[in-house]
Amino acid sequence: MFKQLKARFGGGLAIAILSIIAVWLIALVILPQLLMVDYSLRPNLLPSELGGEKDTYSLINYETLFANKIHLTIFLKTIWSSVLVTLLTLCVSYPLAFYLAKVATPGQAALCILLLIIPFWINEILRTFSWYIILAYKGPLNSLLLALGLIDRPMRFMTGDGAVMLGMVYAYILFMIFPIYNAIENLDMNQIKAARSLGAGWIRTHYRIIIPHAKPGIATGCIMTFMLAAGSYAVPALLGSPGSRWFTQIIYNWFFEGGNWNQGAAYAFLLLLICIGFIALVMRIFKVGLGDIAR
Amino acid sequence: MDSSVHLDNVVMKFGDFTAIQQSDLKIESGEFFSFLGPSGCGKTTILNMISGFLDPTEGAVKIGGEDMRGVPANKRPTSMIFQNLALFPLMTVAENIEFGLEVRGVNKRDRKKASDRLLELVALPDSADKQVSALSGGQKQRIAIARALAVEPRVLLLDEPLSALDLKLRQHMRTELKEIQRKTGITFIYITHDQGEALTMSDRVAVMSAGQIQQVADPITLYREPVTDFVASFVGENNAFKGSIQDINGSEIVVDCGPLGKLVGKGVGALTKGQEATLFIRPEHISLIPVVEGNSFDVTIKEINFEGAYLTLNAETTYGHSLAVQIGSDQYSSNMTPGAHISLSYHNKDAVVISGGENV
Repeated sequence: MFKQLKARFGGGLAIAILSIIAVWLIALVILPQLLMVDYSLRPNLLPSELGGEKDTYSLINYETLFANKIHLTIFLKTIWSSVLVTLLTLCVSYPLAFYLAKVATPGQAALCILLLIIPFWINEILRTFSWYIILAYKGPLNSLLLALGLIDRPMRFMTGDGAVMLGMVYAYILFMIFPIYNAIENLDMNQIKAARSLGAGWIRTHYRIIIPHAKPGIATGCIMTFMLAAGSYAVPALLGSPGSRWFTQIIYNWFFEGGNWNQGAAYAFLLLLICIGFIALVMRIFKVGLGDIAR
Repeated sequence: MDSSVHLDNVVMKFGDFTAIQQSDLKIESGEFFSFLGPSGCGKTTILNMISGFLDPTEGAVKIGGEDMRGVPANKRPTSMIFQNLALFPLMTVAENIEFGLEVRGVNKRDRKKASDRLLELVALPDSADKQVSALSGGQKQRIAIARALAVEPRVLLLDEPLSALDLKLRQHMRTELKEIQRKTGITFIYITHDQGEALTMSDRVAVMSAGQIQQVADPITLYREPVTDFVASFVGENNAFKGSIQDINGSEIVVDCGPLGKLVGKGVGALTKGQEATLFIRPEHISLIPVVEGNSFDVTIKEINFEGAYLTLNAETTYGHSLAVQIGSDQYSSNMTPGAHISLSYHNKDAVVISGGENV
């Protein structure tokens, strides 16, 4: 890399560019993470006890999760719900991505993409708040359903995980649509026509031709959505109820309410490890390599 | 089985643009039929109408006498070979060929039998398990043919499938396509802008220009007796001389071509005295030897090219008309150099007079 940069920009500038990247990577990404690893492996001590005989490395903070039934349940639920959010987002996004890539005229596609992007110019918390308002007990959705006579009295939408998942599908839909859109867009239209001409109906054309072609895009979208969902804090905090806590909220509590950074760091790493493992597993099952995703 | 295709007074419009002017055409069962025309003439639109990717704005496409309006592409008894072949890159050769049968719910064993038989037909018996990307251009071509034939279509539609191949392979595939058509007896509808392909393979050719079918005829008639000036100048090389009709003696038409004098040719279609007309002479009908019952003119040689069996001359008349001439190599003499003056002539019966001439 240095050789190429040097050939292009000269030695001085090449060193400058590389050192900026190195500083960014080491000081802003790697070192803080290592610090958190260090935290997670040490007990939570009073300042006076730091460096004392109690200050030893152990896995005790990691074991806490498996000893605490409630935390473990929330942890597993978070993973499972994130899977559901991912699948839901995929179901919503795929038809839309196909429409944008192959059916819509360029004008329609541009308009549609604009309409999709505009809400994302607003902060995620505000967007989530708007769902909070829509779903509120005396909110517009209940009023509409009452007015249409579909329900007799207002419903509580925000009790279970439903509202949280809905909010997440909305919050992360672009991360799913764009990779799939890109993947479908470069599919040769003649492939679709060839399948049709050979007698394939629309469903078969999708699952034999279009989806296999779009697989890397689908995988990218699913990984991003899953990671964002599992790591989401704002959406469950606003749209959830005490009964539908997300694992990120527990991590938050360890850090800022329990004041136990060591425990919080351990929980955060467990979430990260499980997510990475889960993604690796899914990629293996669907036979997608890292190279496919980078395409 | 009746696998004729009838374009029953079809018209195709895209908004204000008329892609296909009203056309009525019947393609016979088992015929090798070509649509020939420059790009943008509407030939691909015709193919899309037959295959079901488009429905005509007016009129109907009938396959085997059955009106196909509203029948989607996947339910029509046609199958198509695309210009870029559109083989499925994520499937093996056998899976590609078997795709149409898989769609139809044929079991695995029968599918395998069918793909083996087709690979035999296209002379690639050992490539069933190969990846598409491992094939050469010509092999891909054959797999595309096998895939399209696997569904046993009544009509096979070919959209310039040979255009991506090199010359040698293209010529070889022409013979092979013709052979496959003869063996299977399927109606072949072939789209091309390459007249060589259209003329060598087809039973009949429809020449198209600007959404209009100009002439439908067998290749020899098309070449010898073009009915429109477009066909005369598009199919094969031709020399055109514009003028007005001075006299009509039976089939012999005398055209007054201004300073070139009066040229005589065979009339095509309805012609009247005084009308604007164009006289066409093929390069190979021009001779160095003076002929009886013919016309002659003096020219200057501009360029001379030796092509092996024949020579092509680029000549110019005293009045600035450029003229393409093709003569046998045996007629070459050393005084034929650029700048030399020679006299050329042609038989009246070889020239064709067509009314108008705006396309020349």
